[in-house]
Amino acid sequence: MTNKKIVYKAVDPEIEELAHHHGGTQEATLEVLKDLGAKNKLNPATITETARALHLPAHETYGMATFYSMLSLEERKKVLRVCDGPVCWLKRASNQLSVNSDQLISEWQSKLGEDFTIERSSCLGLCDRAPAVLVEDEQAGPVNPNDAAKVCEGWRGVQTDYSKPRQGEVRVMTALIGKVNPDEIDSALEHGLYDGLKKALQSDPTVVLAEVESSGLQGRGGAGFPVGRKWRFVASEKRTPRYIVCNADESEPLIFKDRVLMDTNPHQLLEGISIAGYACGASEAWIYIRGEYEHQARRLERAIEQAEAKNLLGKNILGSDFSFKIHVHRGAGAYICGEETALIESLEGKRGEPRLRPPYPPTYGFRGQPTAVNNVESFCAVPHIVKNGAEWWRNLTDDPTPGTKVYMVLGHVKNPGLFEAPFGLTLREIINNFGGGMLPGSTFNFALCGGAAGTIVPPALVDAHIDYSSGPLKGVTRDIKFMEKRWTQVISMGAGSFLICDQTVSPVSFLRELLHFFAAESCGKCTPCRVGTWRSLEILNRMTSGQGQQGDTEELKTLAAIMQDSSFCGLGQSVPIPMKSVLTHFGAEFAKAEK
Amino acid sequence: MVNITINGQSIQVEAGKTILQAAQAQGIEIPTLCYHKDLNPTGNCRMCIVEVKGGRFLQAACVTPVWEGMDIQTHSEKVTKDRKLTLELMLANHPQDCITCDVSGECELQDLAYEYKASAPKWGSKGGRYPVDSDPNPFIRVDMNRCILCRRCVSACAEIQVRDVWGVAKRGFDEVIVPGAGTTMLEARCESCGQCVAYCPTGALSNKMNYGIARAHQVTKVTTTCSYCGVGCQFDLLKKNDKVIGAQSNPNAPVNGMALCVKGRYGYDYIHHPERLKKPRVRRYLLEGKDKNDIRDSIHDTRNSTSKIESPWDWVEAEWDVALDITAKKLMQIRDQFGADSMGFLTSAKCTNEENYLMNKLARQVVGTNNIDHCARL
Repeated sequence: MTNKKIVYKAVDPEIEELAHHHGGTQEATLEVLKDLGAKNKLNPATITETARALHLPAHETYGMATFYSMLSLEERKKVLRVCDGPVCWLKRASNQLSVNSDQLISEWQSKLGEDFTIERSSCLGLCDRAPAVLVEDEQAGPVNPNDAAKVCEGWRGVQTDYSKPRQGEVRVMTALIGKVNPDEIDSALEHGLYDGLKKALQSDPTVVLAEVESSGLQGRGGAGFPVGRKWRFVASEKRTPRYIVCNADESEPLIFKDRVLMDTNPHQLLEGISIAGYACGASEAWIYIRGEYEHQARRLERAIEQAEAKNLLGKNILGSDFSFKIHVHRGAGAYICGEETALIESLEGKRGEPRLRPPYPPTYGFRGQPTAVNNVESFCAVPHIVKNGAEWWRNLTDDPTPGTKVYMVLGHVKNPGLFEAPFGLTLREIINNFGGGMLPGSTFNFALCGGAAGTIVPPALVDAHIDYSSGPLKGVTRDIKFMEKRWTQVISMGAGSFLICDQTVSPVSFLRELLHFFAAESCGKCTPCRVGTWRSLEILNRMTSGQGQQGDTEELKTLAAIMQDSSFCGLGQSVPIPMKSVLTHFGAEFAKAEK
Repeated sequence: MVNITINGQSIQVEAGKTILQAAQAQGIEIPTLCYHKDLNPTGNCRMCIVEVKGGRFLQAACVTPVWEGMDIQTHSEKVTKDRKLTLELMLANHPQDCITCDVSGECELQDLAYEYKASAPKWGSKGGRYPVDSDPNPFIRVDMNRCILCRRCVSACAEIQVRDVWGVAKRGFDEVIVPGAGTTMLEARCESCGQCVAYCPTGALSNKMNYGIARAHQVTKVTTTCSYCGVGCQFDLLKKNDKVIGAQSNPNAPVNGMALCVKGRYGYDYIHHPERLKKPRVRRYLLEGKDKNDIRDSIHDTRNSTSKIESPWDWVEAEWDVALDITAKKLMQIRDQFGADSMGFLTSAKCTNEENYLMNKLARQVVGTNNIDHCARL
């Protein structure tokens, strides 16, 4: 072997410039790759150059470029992403449209012609506008291939209007929907936004922290971890700087509340994050928003700009010693980045793979520093708690879990959408009181509760209470009778979405849709999830196409067990939740599909 | 120190140790695949899962630190069942060609499958997803069909060799290990040290030079010290039928552990090379006792030709004593004629400390000059 003569070549100036523009560190990787992708210039050569410009090994940037679904090494035209999530699937099935993703893509392709590249996308977070698509950056829905001509002309479907509360709603975080102009800070100030921050700044951070702690606010991402306790961990870390990260990577099918909250009232979120920063002793925050929410990301950036102009963000806020900066960081298509450690990895410019835990983010988070990662909705609740007091928040309900929650109800109900209410609801109340009852001709068959990784609930459990699986906080419970009544049967709240399915929906096909999502979104790090989701999908594909074999159900159970027991992170551990519940309650349907 | 219980046995363990380390100290074996003591643990493969009392999920022993009062079961029914299943998930897409595979007999996947009686399920691709021998690297044979995505190659390249050639691309079931930006290994700055091969638990990465020549049980291992430089790396030469057919890391090597450079790992083919010099060679005129001046005008100067005619300039094989005598005589001659300081001694990093010391003695005491230096000082 002879050595090839190696000639030093400077980094491609265009890429060098891009890298410099986005900060020149590893954290810029995703942005540089996206910019190159937008120019159709993503290939091994440019990816290697990006690595050189950012002083990284080439496999890091290549690993990124092939990890995120919004990046592609293939040449693309205008991109139309068709939502392939279970809610859009259900809607298409109900409307007698094609549900097969390949078929759907080719229908769109034939209607739109060669100007477009059509891609499937895991849930776009537009469940209330199903069936949805993303036209370049623009969210559209409900649309189907027959609307292609209108879509080309700029038609983007119908926005959902949540300005009028439903009967029985208790609105806190959603109170200003339709009242406040999301793009005008003056309008926000008129409605009392930033009052919470102003109040917080007048007291000591420890006081603010104690207030949030005693409110009993539990994280709204799904796990229900006490927000105050998490902040306490961060605030008690001696190392600085500490960081706040807002998880706006809302990629779970059925969930769109964060999108609505950011869209309708961005300042509420910014205020909540700033208060968190004040309480935790942080001076910088990142909002990690999924790449598909470009519209919301721009709105947030505009809001940040306006807030900075009014000195509600930035240096020495309102003359105090507190300075705070909020950045918006866009993802690029990966459900796993909603897992907090994967999100941090992604924020650091790496593949969105979960980290080993412990250490947890409050001790070792973004850039290895103490970091509080909270969901959009959690932050949105904070200004109200600070402004009105913890006592007020607890008194919003006589349920042991304090405060209100933004719920979503979808599927075969008359009035699907989003509403805010206290805890302690049952599925029956959600369907009848808030969802307007089942559609005419529909009878309740089952519901997927929480989110895609939630429980599948049969008719027998419609009166069970819904709460965080971790239960209400100790010391917050005031009425022991509630406890006795409630904890006999509890459905996990998850992120608070409920997909109601009628008799026309086969639980087998439905589970297939869920596994279709999880198999596409598994990061691949650990064996049980990587192979388990794929194999489960393979079995379900067979079962739903009339090719079921004896033993399929048994194998699904085995796969569910191993994924739950042995997976690395919450994704793999929670895929079995819908699997196990549907297999328990609808065993007969699966037995039928075996033959 | 924290108090923990492993398989019913109460022990004290230093705080911060992992379950795996605690178990190993007790002589309890927990199976591992992606874990290697030299590399940062990643917890990917899920083979080392154990049951911790009160825990919702099984814990990976390689990455979970012990805590006070932890009650661990390393081989409960649930654990062994899950391990077997995890192996089956790996085997489903792993070629069923152990019978012809080069690393059969030293494959960790094979050993664990044997231990847990795991066989490949009926489903799965059984390989065929990637081209076989897919990289043109002259030393390393790549067959990603056999890869179980443990990422030990990625860690070895990044942490030991610090070349960062291997990385992880794509995601989910499509996840694959690639060099650089999906290029060839050499394009991704590979220096062919073969660390990735040494750490690969399966046959995904193997050696090209001896591929198909011998398997683990057919070779005798001879531990030796590398002769290329003075670092003193040790490794095992693999011997089959009295021939050296390869070199392999020896994890007990005191200086280098598993690490070797391209020369140590792959530069062994000189051993049986037909052109290898085994004895010293001396110019014919010196053997004949002549002086260079006597033959200066020799018409048969074949130094730069391929002539077969005998010439006084020819290199002739000689015994060590003969060659050394001539060398000694010449050196003394120079010293006597021009003085000791007319000579300089340069030793080599390829020599051991002892050899270098002797060279120093030769220069200062025998010849009598302080003109001695060492190539590593340059």
